[in-house]
Amino acid sequence: MVIRRLPEGTVNRIAAGEVIERPASVVKELVENALDAGARRIEVTLGGAGRDLIVVADDGIGMDRSDLMLAIERHATSKLPGDDLMTIATFGFRGEALPSIGSVARLRIASRARGLGEGWAIAIDAGRVQAVEPDSQPVGTRVEVRDLFYATPARLKFLKTDRTEASLCHEAVKRLAMAHPGIAFTIRDGAHAAVTYPARPENLVDGRLDRLADVLGRDFAKNAVSVDATRDNVRLTGYAGLPTFNRGNALAQYLFVNGRPVRDRLLVGAVRAAYQDLLARDRHPVVALFLDLPPGEVDVNVHPTKAEVRFRDGTLVRGLIVSALRAALASAGHRASTSVSAQAIAAFRAGIAPSGTIPFAASLNRYPRPGVAEAAAAFQAPVSAATPFAPAARINEPAPAAGFPLGAAVAQVHETYIVAQTERGMVVVDQHAAHERLVFERIRRAIDGTGVARQILLIPEIVELDAVDIERLLARTGEFAELGLVIESFGPGAVAVREVPALLGEIDLKGLMRDLVDDLAALEEGIALRDRLEQVCSTMACHGSVRAGRRLTIPEMNALLREMESTPHAGQCTHGRPTYVELDLHDIERLFGRR
Amino acid sequence: MKLTIERATLLAALGHVQNVVERRNTIPILSNVLVSAGDGQLSMTATDLDLTIVERVASEARQSGATTTPAHTLYDIVRKLPEGAQVELSTGKDDARLAIVAGRSSFSLPCLPKEDFPAQTDDKLPTRFRVAAEDLRRLIDKTRFAISTEETRYYLNGIYLHAAKSAGVAMLRAVATDGHRLAQVESPLPDGAAGMPGVIVPRKAIAELRRLIDQVADPIEVSLSDTKMRFSFGQTVLTTKLIDGTFPDYQRVIPSDNDKTLEVDCRRFAEAVDRVSTISTEKSRSIKLTIGKDRLQLSATSPEAGSASEEMEVSYPGDSLEIGFNSKYLLDIATQIDGDIARIDLADAVSPTIVRDLGDERALYVLMPMRV
Repeated sequence: MVIRRLPEGTVNRIAAGEVIERPASVVKELVENALDAGARRIEVTLGGAGRDLIVVADDGIGMDRSDLMLAIERHATSKLPGDDLMTIATFGFRGEALPSIGSVARLRIASRARGLGEGWAIAIDAGRVQAVEPDSQPVGTRVEVRDLFYATPARLKFLKTDRTEASLCHEAVKRLAMAHPGIAFTIRDGAHAAVTYPARPENLVDGRLDRLADVLGRDFAKNAVSVDATRDNVRLTGYAGLPTFNRGNALAQYLFVNGRPVRDRLLVGAVRAAYQDLLARDRHPVVALFLDLPPGEVDVNVHPTKAEVRFRDGTLVRGLIVSALRAALASAGHRASTSVSAQAIAAFRAGIAPSGTIPFAASLNRYPRPGVAEAAAAFQAPVSAATPFAPAARINEPAPAAGFPLGAAVAQVHETYIVAQTERGMVVVDQHAAHERLVFERIRRAIDGTGVARQILLIPEIVELDAVDIERLLARTGEFAELGLVIESFGPGAVAVREVPALLGEIDLKGLMRDLVDDLAALEEGIALRDRLEQVCSTMACHGSVRAGRRLTIPEMNALLREMESTPHAGQCTHGRPTYVELDLHDIERLFGRR
Repeated sequence: MKLTIERATLLAALGHVQNVVERRNTIPILSNVLVSAGDGQLSMTATDLDLTIVERVASEARQSGATTTPAHTLYDIVRKLPEGAQVELSTGKDDARLAIVAGRSSFSLPCLPKEDFPAQTDDKLPTRFRVAAEDLRRLIDKTRFAISTEETRYYLNGIYLHAAKSAGVAMLRAVATDGHRLAQVESPLPDGAAGMPGVIVPRKAIAELRRLIDQVADPIEVSLSDTKMRFSFGQTVLTTKLIDGTFPDYQRVIPSDNDKTLEVDCRRFAEAVDRVSTISTEKSRSIKLTIGKDRLQLSATSPEAGSASEEMEVSYPGDSLEIGFNSKYLLDIATQIDGDIARIDLADAVSPTIVRDLGDERALYVLMPMRV
């Protein structure tokens, strides 16, 4: 065996294996370069889902001839001015993207630097420079990638269907577009109409919301609350979807660190924790959160495609996200998502009027169905005095609804739902779900006020765990103690549980500890313990609340509505279902064809 | 099989065994009771594989034999028959049905072959002794409240019975704990029990045993190995498997140096705890004891339900102390104390507290405080 130094081309291809996984990675790298070049407008064109062609054109600062020559060398970059990896303010810094792409595809870069009269282009084919020639490129840079992975056919085999690859490319642009509302993006993939995100006012709260609405849909803008919180020198901004506006998976959670889209466990865990008692375990919120912190506080150099980052003070970041989201959602108070009322409107059908003429379809039925005949007989029978006719709903004159978002109660229907008239329409409240949330919040306030009472164990429970898991648990002892769980190290490979939340009574501590460890490993967040506590509170709330089927008087209904207005999270029950739906007068009028 | 028996006798016997049979079973034969007649007696056997009860009553069979039939149905039928009725039990030729005839009522129940009924293995139970029924009742009554219901700690799901020396005297000691509190009760060690292994008797066996010996006056025959235990009394034999586990070294958690001694009137104390705990929240039920010289204040606060406090005169010489407890645990223990005065030995607000009956040296309770 002879050890030899690998040729440059092979080295680049190995690097490409890390950075360039699929067309979407090329798109991401090139768009990031464009952003770093200060572009105001970025156009992405895909051919064959990025397999055949990817073109990224921008109007950034551009490069002159010598820069162009250097750009395709490995570890050559303009973005690391002081050679200081601790303060990275640009997207790129490794100088790996272009040579990596160049080593696995046919690459052509045309660029004209700002202030220069001439443009230049360079062509690379599987790592070999083919030509450097003058080009008629306007100011900015245009990068063309053709026949991606033709030099590494193995990688080509691992690509998914065109559809999937194209949507991943779109997703990559979407994420970057969300973070840069001031820059216009256009994506053409040949198959669909071009998607354009027009430039929005930069760094204005509204501009960002407009861009998020462009990317995530209008529904998101209507169902999101704004988040803005600062702790030390870390700032969190963005929008958090209302709990009733939820999804079945966590894909619609967009997290950005200094404008860089990331998928970070710590951040995902923090979002999960913030929404914990607002959503059922299998539902996920929609959020777009932007974390801004000094470059020295975060290490982005931990993952080849920078999808993960490391924070100097993770606890601070987590705390900030959880508290900011909670505060924002609490301020949204009783708001339930508009998509809920949209569903409600859609569920309405125009009633079939009992008219004198028999519909055509019925006349085809030669034999009357027995069910109908019986029903008709029952309907025509005289109402016996023994069974007084109970009104289906009790109707009352509404009190003036002015000033109350949930309006004034008008009636209770089926002894389960409260109908209230508001200034701009009506609301229907599920009395049990609404009251359950109110009681739950009251119980939780009580616990927050007094702290969780802890039962000290006569015989401490020894739980055997992995050394790594124990480390993780012990790092959080303070937090667990606040929730009533006191643990301490018990030799290598075991922890001793000394005190447990009295609320939980006798519990399966081994099971709880295992769940906690799993949560910590997956999300860096001890969700299981809070979960159990909230389950108990939730059961207590369920037992202590007004059931469906209980008659309420108008003052009782109004009191419930007023309390809902003043209670945080009153828009959804503890399982994330809405507690009420609002029907706009406008929508009601539309139902009747008045508009 | 064919025999006639008085309804009351049959009902009593069935009543003893049918409780063992679970309402729902995956093995059909476990829903059945084994009924067998011969040698001048009728015997009935029910089992859930862990616990088996055999009951014998005198009855002259016209034709001996045995079969199994659904226990709960048979019991319900006999229960609903008129008082004083004579019940005739008979099986047909092929033993497929059990006919029950009383007066003008007749029933026919499906049977399963007696050969399929789990046989009782004749294990050797080397340790044998007789214990006074009253002592056994006391050992169970005063400890069973502390048995754990958490299935993952199976070794706490029963009463730990073993021979122990207390102040130089050999004792039969029963201990139960759920990890929060502990109860320890003793009675004189019966002859023959000296070499007995320490055994954990499961909760269900304890419950059945206690129900069956409620009226028994004669001494109870006990025999055991380290996996099985048998109790015989009157016409009944109860055999149970024992929990295969190690009971924790409980003596280590019983403190010996608690120097602050509080003596309270037990009945008044229990009533006061009950009153004050009305306020403490549903689930954690915490209550605070503030102890000063000869004074005890019980208090509870809840931001929801308000607050409560009650003072009582006690005998307490030491320094003042504040300590929290789960009021349910306090009440459970107070209920076990028959004497007038309970002695509570404390160390501090986070250490185990000992409660004793001043009139009964042989019972001791340990309770862990709560941090509130």
